Amino acid sequence: MNIDEIFDFTSFTIDREPHIVLDDKVCAGCDVRGCTNCCPARCYTWSEAEQKMTFVYDGCLECGSCYVVCQRNAFTRWRYPRGGFGVSFRMT
Amino acid sequence: MSKEFQAIVVGAGPAGSSAALTMARAGLDVALVERGNFPGEKNMFGGLLHRMTSIEEVFPDFWERAPLERHIAKKGTTFMTDAASFHVQHETASFDRTPYNGYTVFRPKFDRWLAEEAVKAGVTLINRSTVEDVVLKNNRVQGVTIVGRQGKLSAPVVVAADGVLSFTALKAGLRRPGFNPDQMAVGIKALFDLPKEVIDDRFGLVRDQGFANEYVGCTGGVRGGGFLYTNYDTISVGLVVHLSSLRASGKTPYDLLNAFLEQPQFTKLLKGGRLMEYSAHVIPEGGYAMIPELYGDGILVAGDAAALCNATGVNLEGINLASHSGILAAKTVVEAHAENDFSRKALKRYKDRLDLSWVMKDLKGFRNAPKMLHIDRIYNEYPELVCSMMEHVYRIDGTPKVSIPKLIMREVKEKVGIKNAFSDLLTAWRAL
Repeated sequence: MNIDEIFDFTSFTIDREPHIVLDDKVCAGCDVRGCTNCCPARCYTWSEAEQKMTFVYDGCLECGSCYVVCQRNAFTRWRYPRGGFGVSFRMT
Repeated sequence: MSKEFQAIVVGAGPAGSSAALTMARAGLDVALVERGNFPGEKNMFGGLLHRMTSIEEVFPDFWERAPLERHIAKKGTTFMTDAASFHVQHETASFDRTPYNGYTVFRPKFDRWLAEEAVKAGVTLINRSTVEDVVLKNNRVQGVTIVGRQGKLSAPVVVAADGVLSFTALKAGLRRPGFNPDQMAVGIKALFDLPKEVIDDRFGLVRDQGFANEYVGCTGGVRGGGFLYTNYDTISVGLVVHLSSLRASGKTPYDLLNAFLEQPQFTKLLKGGRLMEYSAHVIPEGGYAMIPELYGDGILVAGDAAALCNATGVNLEGINLASHSGILAAKTVVEAHAENDFSRKALKRYKDRLDLSWVMKDLKGFRNAPKMLHIDRIYNEYPELVCSMMEHVYRIDGTPKVSIPKLIMREVKEKVGIKNAFSDLLTAWRAL
């Protein structure tokens, strides 16, 4: 299976306002970065060149893994999307 | 929106809807607040709903009414390496008769049905509303504020059934701000489409019989396991991995899933299947040790929000515990209304009820299970040991056979060491 395909099979209603916000200065000082490998939706990317963490919220499955594994409490906001927005599971 | 109710339930999952339904049937005016467009839209699980005796009391014809996929007539466990597998299976006629012992279901359908039953009983369901905070008056929870639909809901008592990360319990000061990744797992799942006849043939099923299987040794050494559940005409497969172990491994859950799906004995089970949906969620697997405060002034916590999840490695139960806890919370709220006392002291009866129920008795009885599940050898060395031993037992290659006890000793010495094997056996004995 081409694993990249798997992410295209879930539906989302994207809120213009992100429900998770990072303080990337905190992330820059982290040497574990468990979010990058624990997130099942590949939302976190660490750029070695820029020494910067990027979080893209549109494909977030709202699973909570990053909230649990972050060692630095790097979130300035971690909440669920406003009612009606975010991931929409149909059959799961 | 600003409204008053006699009770507010946060989250229309199995705990929340069971609670709301029970309270409404007792005559209370209940609001059931859900952040999805409909109940179940945000919910996922592996796919196996165990028998819910408390819901059977509410619906004596549960299996006729609920939107179920198949009833589980066959359960198995497979020990797996990259190239080999050893499978054990249990099948009994009694699991093929009502009351069935378990079912495969889809949460967006099942949770929606249960919430709609609550609505039929008089519950006001408020969809598309994420609870943002609890309203405190004199240090007592008296309602919640919501976003999505903007507003405030008031009630003398709130039941927090908002899932594993329960921000409602956090805001009410009942759970600690952070979680221990040792006590949490993430489940990921892919759903594959296959015709019913193909599923029946491939797994040896007839009528609406279903098959549930767990896999050990398919997680690249990360603590966790795999699962496969047959739905009516789809198959759910996935992994559950412990977050501390996953973090330390540097591996990603989807790469592990991919490797699992590509294992040669597994590939043929899904052959021809078309991918339908991918989902993920965190699971509270710390057992008895991680249960937060269950009650406070004007608030009760039920279901995943209260970490009521029993992962012994043999059965993986959650929804049945959630639903039962919701019903016990509801009974306590009904009593509190009769006495007009919503204090912490009055609501403590909920915990007393839970302690006396099978929910807490099971969690307490299996409180060492998480410890066993932290033995890393379970996820690599033991499946390898079992598969390699069976290969030796079955292989005929012109060399003299080794007796099975000798074979076991040799494999144990080689793969885990006698001392480790004894200590693991003891831990498992105590856990189970």
